[in-house]
Amino acid sequence: MKKDDVLRALGFAGLVLLGGSSSLPAATTFHKFVAVGDSLPAGHEANCTVDRYQVRSATYLIAQALGITDFQQPLISEVAPSQPLTGYPCLGAVVSNGSISVGIVSQEGATENQNLPRPYDNLGFNGGPRVKDFVDLKISEPGRSDLDNYAARVLRNVAGTPFAGTSAVEQAASLHPDLILYWVGNNDVLGAASTGVALDGVTLTPVADFEAKYLEGLTILQSTGATIVTFTIPDVTSIPLYKTLPPVVLDPVTRQPVLVNGQPVPLMGSRAFPPACPVAPCPLPPDTLIHTIKAPLLEAQGIGIPAALGGKAVLGSGDLATALPDGSFTPPAGPLVPGVLLYADEVAAIQSRTNEINDRIRADSAANGIVLYDLNARFAEIAQKGYSIGGITLTTAFLQGGLFSADGTHPTQIGYAIMADDIIQRVNAATGSAIPRPDIPHALFTPNASPFLGAAPAAVPGFVPQAWMSLLPILGPIDPDPVKDPRGRATRVVGR
Amino acid sequence: MTIGHRVRPRRLALVLIACGFLVAVPAFPSGFQLMSQGARASGMGLAFTAVANDPSAIFFNPAGIGWEQHFDIDIGSSFITRTKGEFDGAAPYPGVGVNESVHKTTFTLPTLYLVAPLTQDLNFGLGIFAPYGLGVRWDNAENCNGNCANGVVSPNSFSGRFIAQNTYIQSLDINPVVSFKATPQLAFAVGADYRLSKVMLERNEAAVNPFTNSVVDIAHVKLNSDLTDNHGWGWNAGLLFKPDPHFSFGAAYRSRIKVDYDGTATFGQRSTGNAVLDTVVASELPQGTQKVATSITFPETVNLGTAFGFADGFLLSLEADWTRWSRFSELLITFPSNPAIPALDRKTNWDDSWAYRVGLEKKFSGAWAIRAGYYRDKTPQPIEDAGPLLADNDRDAFTLGFGYDSPRWGFNIGDIYIKVKSLNTANTANNDKFFGTYHEDVNVFAFDFRFSF
Repeated sequence: MKKDDVLRALGFAGLVLLGGSSSLPAATTFHKFVAVGDSLPAGHEANCTVDRYQVRSATYLIAQALGITDFQQPLISEVAPSQPLTGYPCLGAVVSNGSISVGIVSQEGATENQNLPRPYDNLGFNGGPRVKDFVDLKISEPGRSDLDNYAARVLRNVAGTPFAGTSAVEQAASLHPDLILYWVGNNDVLGAASTGVALDGVTLTPVADFEAKYLEGLTILQSTGATIVTFTIPDVTSIPLYKTLPPVVLDPVTRQPVLVNGQPVPLMGSRAFPPACPVAPCPLPPDTLIHTIKAPLLEAQGIGIPAALGGKAVLGSGDLATALPDGSFTPPAGPLVPGVLLYADEVAAIQSRTNEINDRIRADSAANGIVLYDLNARFAEIAQKGYSIGGITLTTAFLQGGLFSADGTHPTQIGYAIMADDIIQRVNAATGSAIPRPDIPHALFTPNASPFLGAAPAAVPGFVPQAWMSLLPILGPIDPDPVKDPRGRATRVVGR
Repeated sequence: MTIGHRVRPRRLALVLIACGFLVAVPAFPSGFQLMSQGARASGMGLAFTAVANDPSAIFFNPAGIGWEQHFDIDIGSSFITRTKGEFDGAAPYPGVGVNESVHKTTFTLPTLYLVAPLTQDLNFGLGIFAPYGLGVRWDNAENCNGNCANGVVSPNSFSGRFIAQNTYIQSLDINPVVSFKATPQLAFAVGADYRLSKVMLERNEAAVNPFTNSVVDIAHVKLNSDLTDNHGWGWNAGLLFKPDPHFSFGAAYRSRIKVDYDGTATFGQRSTGNAVLDTVVASELPQGTQKVATSITFPETVNLGTAFGFADGFLLSLEADWTRWSRFSELLITFPSNPAIPALDRKTNWDDSWAYRVGLEKKFSGAWAIRAGYYRDKTPQPIEDAGPLLADNDRDAFTLGFGYDSPRWGFNIGDIYIKVKSLNTANTANNDKFFGTYHEDVNVFAFDFRFSF
């Protein structure tokens, strides 16, 4: 017992109830809300953008919390999968041979409100847009690339149309918003992860290029006088895309490491490590990251599996077709061949660029009075501790963690609801607004399954070669327009 | 010849005693401490440390029995009723519009005190009471349409069911004391405190259904400690100084007691409605009964009081009580027989707390007396720790009572109405991330009978 506590007790003689009142300034309110950015503000989930996901996006939840009733998104219908596919496929958990795996459960259909006479309020789009694309992409050409296909749907700036010649930030500014999400930069770094190739100027945007375009877009948005929220870029190791599988041979039934003489057996990769292994295939170092979805497709064909365990890879044979690929890029213009591995130096390069760009985002936000949502720190925290609410613990585990969708990269509706809650809290703290926090139980307990799950063509089983191969072409977008240095050459910072 | 367990007499006796005294009650004082251990004290706002003039002094201030001249036996009980126990949800979880309620039950809290004079200045006392207890059982804890073993749990079940559905802490103290009257004005006392305790926790476990990306109930977990094997020892002491017939000062101390609990955990699977997922859950759910262990350090307490006698039979008692609740900084539940089951580690980080009490008694001729009192009890629980397990807050209590006290026998009736300040966890760093406002009121009705020989 502390001395002052004793004195307080001995001095006890009664209670004095203090009352008071204070006057608070009127809370900030927002009436027009827009979002500019990539697949995250779009609500992209499980490899597709469809209305079922769009109405569960963080962006839409914030609009609902603001009470905005005419918030317009480029809603895309969800249709049954077909053979061949006619739209980008949606992935989901399916039952395969009595176990839980990933398959195609539906696909994107048509835009439902294509003829809206004004720009959409949610201008987020998929297709791997980089920061420059939100400023410079003023004419979209459907069919040229994934990026153009998505931009044409969302920005509708195809030549000869009313919005031709306008960029995403310009369309956003034209709506005279008072609250803007400026959610860009992910593809300027994480494209290296999805392709398995970390090349400065190709899959990694140079910092100076990034900042120039970032500030250019920010300046246009700031001209509206709106409150702007910006975001840092998550670390590649905080998402399940490369954090699910160890770089060792797994038993295809139990999914546990195969042990030889009590030790796990490394998978074989396409990089040589002289002098210990001067010619590939060579065993993967323990710190190698494996693509959660694509690597098992190849392993199921024996690729990367040592011949001694029934696979095709022979140590030092020089037959790279039997090794798990690291990805490659042929300068100056490609092609970029995606890989399924991230060696330690590639991870370091991605993380280094992530940190460099995030430093600029933080500094630019502070200098411009921007509300910052440090998504990098938040993802890192959740990857380490999970996220608990109401006694429910969610993790970043693939498929069963609850936070990330079946593509291993984009959040589920639960993850988006948590983001919306975080964003609202930051805006309230920064501006004095009183935006109500979202209804997370709705995201937690409302089933979000494809209505076409049963109609999927022969549920695409996981880890079965034939079916998984059908996924290969649709996963891991390849940027058709790699960033080049001023001399027109792609610059490689890591590699063999 | 038959082979079986032979129940040892000592253990059987403990079980029988415990069945009568172990109680789980609403957390009506701050934390889970129970101070209503005598009807006379209850009528006087529990400001009894400097009064201590009946056998319940064994609990409040054992020095008080130093002036007893006869063999006394005092039997009593409190009836504790949660008159209000509601929760209004807030965003983001469980959300606005979610209303929950705590099951309303009346709990009994019996007491037994014996006083035996050994010499003119030395008295022996024995008290049996339950100084700590907690009981929180939420309504609609798990709705499976009457078939929770095989049915799918409704999302409309209690929204905090993944934190706690039903919780109790029970205790029973056996407290022998010796009081020595050093002078006609001053008595000291010291005693040993043997505490039996039992804890129980029920809740559901959640998981994500990967086919729907939604949360489902996968299991019901019940952690339950054994009764007689979980105990601890402590001690208590008291001082009562009556320099003047119209003034007294009392001080009492009760030590901390650590109880290590061993018990069992049972996991009952709940159907998710998806056979494949149920198979996965079944393969990962601990089977059978698992051993579980935890410990609770019950805090030490210090009670300081003064009492003033006035003309016309009035007695005014003032008191300040300190409880070292900072002892309760963590609740760690482990599964020693199965390390694969993750431990439940709850950082409670409670603060030490004070309660301030005032009591008034008016004695009439003919041995009748009426009483009134008030106290304010400060919660030791930080708002970060408040949740369905226990949501405690500051409280104001108003008391009334009366009694009859003759040399050979007497009785007392007391009542405490406790108004708990509503506790709003919205927009706080609540550990459970279970947001909303808790409303709770409690009534305690107490009586006791005393016989002197």
